[in-house]
Order: sequence, then structure tokens, then C-alpha cells
Amino acid sequence: MSTATAGPAKGRRVRVRGRGERSVGSSILLHGTLVVASVISLFPIVWLVLTSLKPRDGWLSTELKLFDGSSLDNYARVLTGTQFPSWLFNSVVIAGLTTVIGVFLASTTGYAISRFRFPGYRGVMWMLLVTQMFPVAILIVPLYNLMAGLGLLNQIPGLVIAYMTVAVPFCAWMMKGYFDSIPREIDQAGMIDGLTPFGTFWRVVLPLARPSLAVTAFYSFMTAWGEVAYASVFMTGDDKRTLAAGLQQFVGQYWADWGLLTAAAVLIAVPAAVVFLFVQRHLVAGLTSGATKL
Amino acid sequence: MATSTGRVSGTTRDRAAGATDSARGRGRGRQAGPVRRSLSQYWYAWAMVAPVVVVTAALIGWPLVRGVYLSLTDATEATMGRTIGVNVIPSTYEFVGLDNYVGVLTSGLFWEKLTWTVVWTVACVALHYGVGLGLALMLNRRLRFRSVYRLLLILPWAVPPFVAAFIWRYLYNSDYGVINAMLRAAGLGGVGWLDDPTTAKIAVIAVNVWIGIPFMMMAMLGGLQSIPKELYEAAEVDGATPWQRFRFVTVPGLRTVSSTVLLLGTIWTFNMFPLIFLITGGGPGSSTEILVTYAYREAFTGVRNYAGSAAWGVIILLLLVVMALVYRRALRKQGEVW
Amino acid sequence: MRRAFSTATIVAALALAVSACGGGDGGTAAAPSQAAPADPSQISGEITWWDTVRPDSEGPTFQALIQEFQAKYPKIKVNYVNVPSDQAQNKFQTAAQAGSGAPDVIRSEVAWTSQFASLGYLQPLDGSRAVENESDFLAGPLSSTKYNGKTYAVPQVTDTLALLYNKRLLKEAGHEKAPATVEELKQVALDVKEKAGVNGLALNVDSYFLLPFMYGEGGDLLDVQSKKITVNSPANVKAMTTVADLVTSGAAAKPAIQDSYANAMTALKDGKVAMIYNGPWALAEIYQGKEFKDKENLGIAPVPAGSVKAGAPTGGWNLAIYAGSKNIDASYEFVRFMSTAEAQAKVAKEISLLPTRTSAYDNPDVQGNKDVAVFKPIMDTATPRPWIPEGGQLFQPLLEGYQSLLGGKTTPEEMLKTVDEKYRGIFKGWS
Repeated sequence: MSTATAGPAKGRRVRVRGRGERSVGSSILLHGTLVVASVISLFPIVWLVLTSLKPRDGWLSTELKLFDGSSLDNYARVLTGTQFPSWLFNSVVIAGLTTVIGVFLASTTGYAISRFRFPGYRGVMWMLLVTQMFPVAILIVPLYNLMAGLGLLNQIPGLVIAYMTVAVPFCAWMMKGYFDSIPREIDQAGMIDGLTPFGTFWRVVLPLARPSLAVTAFYSFMTAWGEVAYASVFMTGDDKRTLAAGLQQFVGQYWADWGLLTAAAVLIAVPAAVVFLFVQRHLVAGLTSGATKL
Repeated sequence: MATSTGRVSGTTRDRAAGATDSARGRGRGRQAGPVRRSLSQYWYAWAMVAPVVVVTAALIGWPLVRGVYLSLTDATEATMGRTIGVNVIPSTYEFVGLDNYVGVLTSGLFWEKLTWTVVWTVACVALHYGVGLGLALMLNRRLRFRSVYRLLLILPWAVPPFVAAFIWRYLYNSDYGVINAMLRAAGLGGVGWLDDPTTAKIAVIAVNVWIGIPFMMMAMLGGLQSIPKELYEAAEVDGATPWQRFRFVTVPGLRTVSSTVLLLGTIWTFNMFPLIFLITGGGPGSSTEILVTYAYREAFTGVRNYAGSAAWGVIILLLLVVMALVYRRALRKQGEVW
Repeated sequence: MRRAFSTATIVAALALAVSACGGGDGGTAAAPSQAAPADPSQISGEITWWDTVRPDSEGPTFQALIQEFQAKYPKIKVNYVNVPSDQAQNKFQTAAQAGSGAPDVIRSEVAWTSQFASLGYLQPLDGSRAVENESDFLAGPLSSTKYNGKTYAVPQVTDTLALLYNKRLLKEAGHEKAPATVEELKQVALDVKEKAGVNGLALNVDSYFLLPFMYGEGGDLLDVQSKKITVNSPANVKAMTTVADLVTSGAAAKPAIQDSYANAMTALKDGKVAMIYNGPWALAEIYQGKEFKDKENLGIAPVPAGSVKAGAPTGGWNLAIYAGSKNIDASYEFVRFMSTAEAQAKVAKEISLLPTRTSAYDNPDVQGNKDVAVFKPIMDTATPRPWIPEGGQLFQPLLEGYQSLLGGKTTPEEMLKTVDEKYRGIFKGWS
């Protein structure tokens, strides 16, 4: 089982021994394929950035140009002419809370279903799976009514709770798989030292599960950061919107301000990409082991 | 180790491995004793899952129960009683049994949409998995610029899906889109990507593949790295060809990761509402409409059909549950434990 | 406004949600005011208004009007929320049925009004201070505010479709005047293609934009009076054949089915097409295009006539009040203020949206706005649509049919037959 400490450098050395050198031809093929794949993966994003730099005439034009009077005007318009700053604030708070609470709940749940066989165990497992099967688009009205009844409409906690139902089931599942890969003897050692089961979990097991926590955190963050359906329906006030919901304002039925949309999209994607940079190494290890047991 | 179907004894309560689920014994605990004992036994476990169960039960369970009830009535936005200010609307909806389900299942459109939804799901998940695995295999090799490639390849994940939908719609634009501009520059002539049922289907699948590959690739990469190197070395010593190494070491080593991501990928793709809704709006005609988007349109245009939408929701959910059950059984046969 | 539940009452709230989910608990709704307060400017309260205009180009005008309103009614605070027009209907329905989160005042599209009213979401306005001098409103827009003999909204702006064309390109093709009939339209378009080297006409693949062709041949979707579905009529078959012929003959460019609106507009702005059908809301955007730096180059003409008449649909927006509003009196005043001839004149002058009051057209500011002046006579001949609660469901089947027709997947006859079948599913018991 790979852990966070098994960096690429280490893995490389191991593998050199195992396999022979690649021929020049297959090297070219390998790099060629990866370059093509990277270009495809990157192209829409590059185009997004290029469009965000274009003035109004250039967004949709009969003549296609890579650069067309590039400027940062669109960014200036987004930051000063719209509610972008307050949307950003809401998004950061909501995604932050979702991440912190989501990771906590997912790890306790994951630990419980990994270590204990308690009455209702199977029910919890199915619940976590079925929750992800829920066709949100169709059942949004009863959810809205529920939120309204609880007084959680247009409130940050309301949206955070709604995101929990999306993020936690997947995350708990991942955490369960990772905990399964941690030897039980470690728990027992903790118990022998006089820790309660919760103490064992918190002090001993959780620190070992760091890679999986990274995945969980990342997934929760991305869920809350990019979600639109709940955000646009539950947050009715202009100043309460999240970035993703706010962005929809820039594209209407009979008009689209591509400049604002693309500039804002770039501003949204950048923090997500930064989070990525930090967690991507853990991501690999976490996802892996997390998924070991269905 | 408690392997019987009886209650798990106190000493083994927290040793999960091998313990058959004691939920089956639940019904027997009639006397006060076992209840108290199980409370003291399972206290920790229950406390740890409680928050999630409570929130999920409230936010998912309640709408689900209500949805099942509504699906058996003829409730619409107009027949559901309510008082708003001076306007009093009496409740006039009635219990109609399974009429809504019969209505949905006997409509030719349901089967048409189901077929396309299955094609869409299978195509997307197969491509996610195939391409994701292929890229992961490449990235798992000793390679210059490996981390650069890895970063570039996972970037689509950082783009929120609805933004991705808008970008792609923009790229696909038949008159002014970049893709057609490049095709024309190459002398091939443009394609009305979203204007023809076949190309529109290909187009939406392509976008979903673009969005979904990073997750799959990372999961597979993780899976590959978790396969002990010794296995490869042993295989090499035995003179196995690269294909044999892949077939007999890599594939079995990835089975557990694969089984999870395939199941989740299928569920996610099946219900991938925003992509189709934002890129084609279900068109041209209603050719790219999958079950969720179609159900949404049926139930939410004009005066909302609550009963109809609930029936659709329950049917979609049941389809997925059945799929999960079959899948689980198939895994069991292969010796996987769940 | 919104009732906030304290944590202590959450349990009670839950019980309430269980019993009233979908119904909403309306027990606390304000009773309608019987008599107007002595001094309206002393009315107090906080109201939320969902506006659906373009936030960048049109929003500021309405925000300025709100400032004026608040100056006049110092005790009323207006929360301005811009909701995209394609989401507003859905969001309002969700919020209105729950009894929480809905705005006090909504800018409702003419076709939504009767639907909202039929569902009990709107406050009846008959005899209230919201409606002032009703006879001054244009008949078409006013008819959209009525449901079952009661008034549920006040017309805010109106619009219709017209033929917008590039005068320079038409001149190059040898035409000084805009085509008056669909036949002429085809000829002019072909001439433009031949002589000016660009496309003559760009179609927008959207149901609303199909209506002028149907009305032109004397067709319609429904006959509400006698409860008949009339979409599958010989007149409409003729109209659809004409539309298909415009494309196959090359008079109109083969339209993109997705984003055809944006593409048609782009082509017009860049001088790649000579004519499109569009409404007054598009003018601001068109004038940003490079072909229309000189506004004089844009011609606006009534939609070309079919074999029967020239007919464009009536569109527009109303202001309606949510029946569950806690500040009905303040909402009345706001709607009243926003629909005065002065307010409408200001809107018309600044952003060329067409007033719904006859008297507003006498205002010098309005008369000074060329676009409004051009659209006024077109408006007078616009055909009102059937204002029925199901009106919003008519367009999707038609759109799907239109898309198949242009994609060459169906014939006009088959297309209308399919649409007719779908309408029969919506209007049970109609003949």
C-alpha cells in the first residue's frame, strides 16, 4: 500500500531496476501521447483565458483571433462593477465550512463503518450510496420547502448543510476504504494505552489517514465551490449568492456577457487550481487506498 | 471471531474483519437486557455515524418519503392546497395508485430516453475508465516532466462543471466556434456540432469525458502505485511479457479501486444534469435528453407536476439501486467482500 | 419580511414543515388594505423586487428609479435583486409555493402572469393603489394582466418583433426599402447574397420567432375562445413550408440550432448578414456592433407579411405582487410608481423599452427616442397571444419541432402533427 512518503523519486529508483530502458521510438510515442492529451485537456482552459482578455467585439466574432486587443478590462469590470467580491466571500466561507465539517463527519462515519459492525451498519452503507443516486434536479422543490420550514433559506448554514449531503457520502466511503487499510493492531495499541475508541480514532488513526483526508477535503471543497443548482435556488438574496450562482447572471437567454463570464470563471478556477497544486500528491495516495474496498 | 449469525460478543465488537453484520440479529433483541447491552456496545459507533445519518435522513430521507407518497397521487402545483395571503387554494389532489408509474413506463419516450441514457452512461464511463487508465499507466512510468503532465491533465477538474459546459458550447459553436474554425482552416469544412442529433450526442459525451478523466486518472494512478513493486519484479524474473504483466499483475491489483470508481462513475454520469442541460438543452429536438433532464422538463415546465416529477425521481432512483444490487452481486461472485 | 426561526422553535418549525410542506403556512399573511392610508408617503416597510433586465445595460436605469422612489417614500426600502430572465419563472414558482423566500414584487413576463395568477401566487390588484388610470394602458399588454376577470399585474414594458436590417447591404443589393412580404423577403435576401456576397437573412431557431410566419398566414397555436388546438392547420403548414424554403433556397443561412440567437446577432453586427427578426431589447447590443457605429445604418421595419397579414406577437413584462408579501401596501405604491407615465418615459428615453401607457408616448422624451418611435406603429398591429396558464408549455414542443424541421428530420406536416399531439397532452378535453 503506498503511503504519502513514497514520493516519485523513490518509486523511480525501484522501477529502474525492474524494467529495461525504453527505446527512443516508444519514448517519442509516450511523450507524444501525453502531449496531445495535455493539449486537449488544456485547450478549453486556454481559450477561456484568452476570451477573458478580449473586448466586447472579440467574444463572439466572425473573425477568430487568438489575441484581440488584449486587456484586463473584463477583470476590472468583474471586480468593481459586480457583486463579485461578496460572492467570493460567500463562496470561501461556504466552501471552507463544507470542507472542515465535511471532512470531520466523513472521517468519523468512515471510521465507524470501517471498525465497528453495529446494528444498522449495512443500512448506513446503503444510505451513503443511495444518497448519491438522488436526482437532485427533480427533488429540489421538497428540499426547498424543508429549508424554508427550518428557516435556513438564504443562509450560509443552510447551503453548507445541503452540500454535506452531497459531499459526505462519497467522502465517508473513501475514508472507510482508507481506514480499512490501516492495520487494526494500531487501534488495539491505542486501546491498551487507555484511550477511548474516540480517543484512538482522533489521536492515533486520524493522523495516519492524512492522504485520505486530503482527498476528502479536496472533494468537499470542489463540491461546494462549483455547485450551481442548490446555490441558485436556496440563496435568494443578491448579496448571498455564491460565485457559481452569481456567474449565471452574466449569461442570459438573449444576451451573454462573455467577458464577465470568462473573467469570473478564471478567477474561480485559480483558487481551485492552487488547492490542487497543494493536494495533488496526496490525492493519488488518498484516492487509491480510499477505494480499496467498496 | 463471531462468524455465526448471532450477536457479536463484547470482546469482538470492534474487530470488524470477518464479523458478519449483526444487523441481522437486530430483530431478536426483544428483552431489555440486550438493548441495554447493545447500547453500551455500539454507543461509539452510533455516535460517530449519528450526525451524518440525521442530516441525511432529514434532507434526503424526508423528500424521498414525501416523493414516494406524492408519486401515488395526482398532485400538481395547481391541486396542492395552500393559502398565500388572500388567495386560498383548496387541496384537490387524490390518491391514484400506480397511475403515474404506468404512465411513465408505457410512454414510448421513456424507453427511448432510457436507451440513450444507458448509451451515454456506458460510453462515458468506458471512456473515462479506458483513457484514465491509459494515462495513468503512462504517468506511472519513469518519465521526464511527469509531474508537469500530471498537473496539466488534472486541470479540467479545477473548472466547475457549469463553466466547462459554457466553454464547450462556445467552442462547439457552429459558425464562430474555435473547433470549426480549425476544421475550416484545415480545409475540412465546419460541422454543426450541436445541430445534428448524432454529432450532438458525440459532443456531449466528449465534454463529459473531458471533465471526468482527471478523477479517473488520479484514482487509477493511485491504484497502480499501491501495487507492490515486488510483484512486477517477480513476474519479470519469470519472463512475463509486458502484456502478461499487465494482465496478471496490474489488472488484479486494480480490481478493488476499479470496482468503486466504476460504480460511482456510473451513478454520477447517469444523473449528470448540468452538462446536458447547459450544452444542448436536450436538443436538437429532444435527442440528447437523458432521463433526468427529460424528467425535469416534463415536470417543471409551466404548472409543475409534482406527482409526475416524484414518479420520475423514484424510477430513476430504483434503476440505480437495481444496478448497484446487480453490480454488488457480480462482485460477490468474484470473491469481493462488501 | 422573512420570518427567522430561532433555534428554540426549530422543532416546531419542523412539525410545521411536515404538515405544510408544499403548502406553506400562510396564516400570517397580511390582509389586503381596504382603504388607502391617508398619506401614502408615510407607508413604511421593506420590499424585495426581482428584476429580470440585463444587469449591465438596463439595470442602472431601474436602480435610479428606485432611488427616486425611495426619496419620495422615505420609509420604504427597496431591495433590488437581479434574476436572469430565463431563471426567474422557475425560481419564483419554487419560492412562492413554499411561502418563503419569494420577492414582494416580481417582474413577470406577460406569459407567466396568468400562470402565476392561476396558482394563487399573485395579489389581486383591482381597486388597489397599484393600478392607476387603467384605461391609459395599451390594450394588448393590459390583456395579459387579467386572469378570470381579475387584475393581477400592471404592464411595465411591451415589445414585439420587427425586421431589423442593414441598410447599406440592402442598398448594395439594389433595394432601398425593407421587404414588406415574405416573398419579397426571400427575393431581397437572395439579391443580397448574390450582389453583396453575404447572407441575406439569419433565422433564430426559437418558437417565439416562428409566430410572425404563422400569424402572417392567418394561423395560430390555439383558439382559446372555442377551446380548440389549431396548431395543425393548413395555414401553419404553409407557414412552416415557407420557413423551410427560406433555408433550402439559400435566402436564409442554415441556422445554428444551438446559440442561433447569438450567432444571428453576431452576424448582423459584423455585417455578415443583412436581415434578422428581433425585438427592441436587442437594439442596445446591435448598436455596439461595428456595422452600426452609425446608428442610421440600422433599418427597422414591420415583420414581412404572409399571404394574409403582417403579424408579430405581443411580448413584454408586467409588475406583479406576491400574495404572501408582508408589505402589500408598500408594494402597491412601488408598482404604482414604477408604472407611471413619467417612469415609463424615463425608461423609454434611456434604454428604449416601449412604454405600456398611451400617454407616455406623448412625452417629448419618448418621442425624441427614434427606436421607440419606429416600434410604436409596429406595436399597434401586434397580435396578442393567448394569455392562459398553460401558455408557458406551448413553446417547448414547437421548438423541438422547429429544430427537427430545419435539421431536415421532418416535414412541415409531420412536425405540426407531432406538436399537435403534444398539445393534446397538455390541454386535455380540447378539440
